Amino acid sequence: MSELVITPAPHLRSPLDVPRVMGRVFLSLLPATIWGMAFFGLQLTLWPLLLSILGAVGFEALDCFVFRKPLSIFDGSALVTGLLLGLSLPPGVPFWIPLVGSGVAIIFGKQMFGGLGQNIFNPALVGRAVLFISWPGIMTSWRVREIWALGVPFSGEGLDVVTTATPLGISKLQGYSALTQLEPRILWRLFVGTVPGCIGEISAVALLSGFFYLLFTGVVRWDIPTFYFLGLAITGAIAGQNPLYHILAGSAIMGGCFMVTDYVTSPVTFKGKIIFGLGAGIFTGIIRWLGGYPEGVTFGILIMNALVPFLDRLLPRRFGVKKV
Amino acid sequence: MKWKSFPGGVLLDPAKDRTEGKPIRKINPPTKVVLPLVQHTGTPLEPLVKKGDTVRKGQKIADAEAFITAPVHASVSGTVQGIEEWWHPVLGRFRAIVVGNDFQDLGEYREPLPEDIERLEPQFLREWIREGGIVGLGGAAFPTHVKVSPPQGKEIDSLILNGAECEPYLTCDHRVMVERAEVVLRGARVLARACGAKRVYVGIEENKKDCIKLFVNLQKDFPLPLQVVALRTKYPQGSEKQLIRAILNREVPPGGLPLDVGVVVDNVQTAWAVGRMSQEGVPLIERVITLSGDCLREPGNLEVPLGVILAELVEFCGGFEREPRKVVMGGPMMGIAQVSLEVPVIKGTSGFLFFVEVVEKREYPCIRCGRCSEGCPMFLTPSYLAKLSEFKAFAEAEENRVMDCMECGTCSYLCPAGIQITQFIKLTKNEILLRRKKGGERK
Repeated sequence: MSELVITPAPHLRSPLDVPRVMGRVFLSLLPATIWGMAFFGLQLTLWPLLLSILGAVGFEALDCFVFRKPLSIFDGSALVTGLLLGLSLPPGVPFWIPLVGSGVAIIFGKQMFGGLGQNIFNPALVGRAVLFISWPGIMTSWRVREIWALGVPFSGEGLDVVTTATPLGISKLQGYSALTQLEPRILWRLFVGTVPGCIGEISAVALLSGFFYLLFTGVVRWDIPTFYFLGLAITGAIAGQNPLYHILAGSAIMGGCFMVTDYVTSPVTFKGKIIFGLGAGIFTGIIRWLGGYPEGVTFGILIMNALVPFLDRLLPRRFGVKKV
Repeated sequence: MKWKSFPGGVLLDPAKDRTEGKPIRKINPPTKVVLPLVQHTGTPLEPLVKKGDTVRKGQKIADAEAFITAPVHASVSGTVQGIEEWWHPVLGRFRAIVVGNDFQDLGEYREPLPEDIERLEPQFLREWIREGGIVGLGGAAFPTHVKVSPPQGKEIDSLILNGAECEPYLTCDHRVMVERAEVVLRGARVLARACGAKRVYVGIEENKKDCIKLFVNLQKDFPLPLQVVALRTKYPQGSEKQLIRAILNREVPPGGLPLDVGVVVDNVQTAWAVGRMSQEGVPLIERVITLSGDCLREPGNLEVPLGVILAELVEFCGGFEREPRKVVMGGPMMGIAQVSLEVPVIKGTSGFLFFVEVVEKREYPCIRCGRCSEGCPMFLTPSYLAKLSEFKAFAEAEENRVMDCMECGTCSYLCPAGIQITQFIKLTKNEILLRRKKGGERK
């Protein structure tokens, strides 16, 4: 008999590994991606998405090369970061926006912290935040075919493409009632995805179908998203607006299904997850309500990302000790 | 019907179909047996015989003074060929008594117990169990007489028979329950009397429906209140603390024993060994083990004398269909990989598994997915403990309850990053125990 292999127990391992997890997350984003491409047209969406993905993978490879680390692009995490960032860009952005965004996301958001698993902030959100602060004009200009525009278009740009305000922008400046007067079917349109916004964030139903796929394949759990939407809805209600509107508008579904659930930047224990989800939802709502920007998802989540090392200390109850 | 269970754990493929329907077979008597001087958890034994001595089957041949220890008896009759270093399935190499079989089958058994077990003195029964060399046959091999000796002031109200057998592949307990239920229950009477338990529970995972049915049928003839509890098939349901939680909803405190919550847990095969000794006077010299995996021609459940060499068992099972690359003693989750087929069966051997494929997982950095925490039946945060172990932050690991870990392997199994979390934790626990020992000496 040839030599026997000696390894420590357990001698069974689950088939789920990191690339498979990342692959499932990538797959789950495809409905929203396809919807965005169909809605805005390939001309305005294909390049931002491709450049964002290629940028993320490319910058990670470059970083590994420069700092002589083992090449880590095949774990799939850079791919997911690139897609998430691309989906959170407005359609038709200049070509350098996705490149700058993915560079910041990968290099400053992830690799500088030590790479996969070490970063405190969600890399895609870091990239988006920097783009948002640095080029607010570009990042909040929503171009869309005229028939879908909300209210009065800001300016015409061609025969049928106009730049328009977003629901959150209108409700922020003129109030929720002004918005519903302008567009009584706003909730339904947000749910289906016929309201201008970022490439991959417009259709709640497309995003949710991907999310339920993740839920049923056991990639993510219900806890953080539930508490996120709960926190957002409560804050929205306190602000005197329709809680459901707050969940459906802007990046909330994207954030609540795909950003707060990021393993690396969310807490490990159940207690931590509750506070994390609730907090991120509440901050999102507060920024929308009282902050200077109409949208608060990015910063709401980034603020709670910063608290995760602390939240991780909220250990579960000790087995055999009912009360501390 | 609702199956009882515990929080955490993992659903595994039970992989028991290869052997669960196969009756227990007795093997041909081996030409020799190798009986290591440590086959239990506790103090090592000293031999009571020397090279050249003639021994009888069932004769005590090694013992020690300590409380937490259990003697070893000759499992065949014949001549002591030597006391020498031999392969040990857990300890690498260790001193063992080698007995050559004379095939005379001359026995030296003990007096069987009288029928009215409930009248016997508990203290007498404890000593009787000890002299029989009985230890837990589920794998941990903790001396049974220690388990049934509650310290002053501690009352035992319940005895739980552990028929969960949650490790994949293993079916020996299943077969013992199906074929020897009456003897198991007789053993339960002795154990209950010895520890003072007033009620007996039998916990069985619901993938062993035939056992559940059988034990329910035997309930009414049992002298004590007996309850059969169907458990959800989930790993590690057979762990003592998880079993007690599932059946009685009591939690053993950290660092504590089942005794602390008024419970004694014994494996069903341990109860069988006790029951058999009470009927026939035969001490623990034989046990039932499972040989399975994907290599043997005829996998199955075998009744074997302790000390038989694995290579002989392989031969009895028709040899290998495919050559194994990994041999494991015990289940795949907690079992120990073997270096050689020259290892003997010891008291804690629940089986040997042979695998062609070695399951390996590429390692990635921890992505903090939290699966290990969700699965941990002891409510720990294993990924964090592994990180602390890497940084040698042992004091912090202790603060984070690393000593509560029972090394079930659930976290390593679940980890998508392929990190050997359990291994990191084992190393940390070892280091902490070493430091405690050193600290103790200095004082």
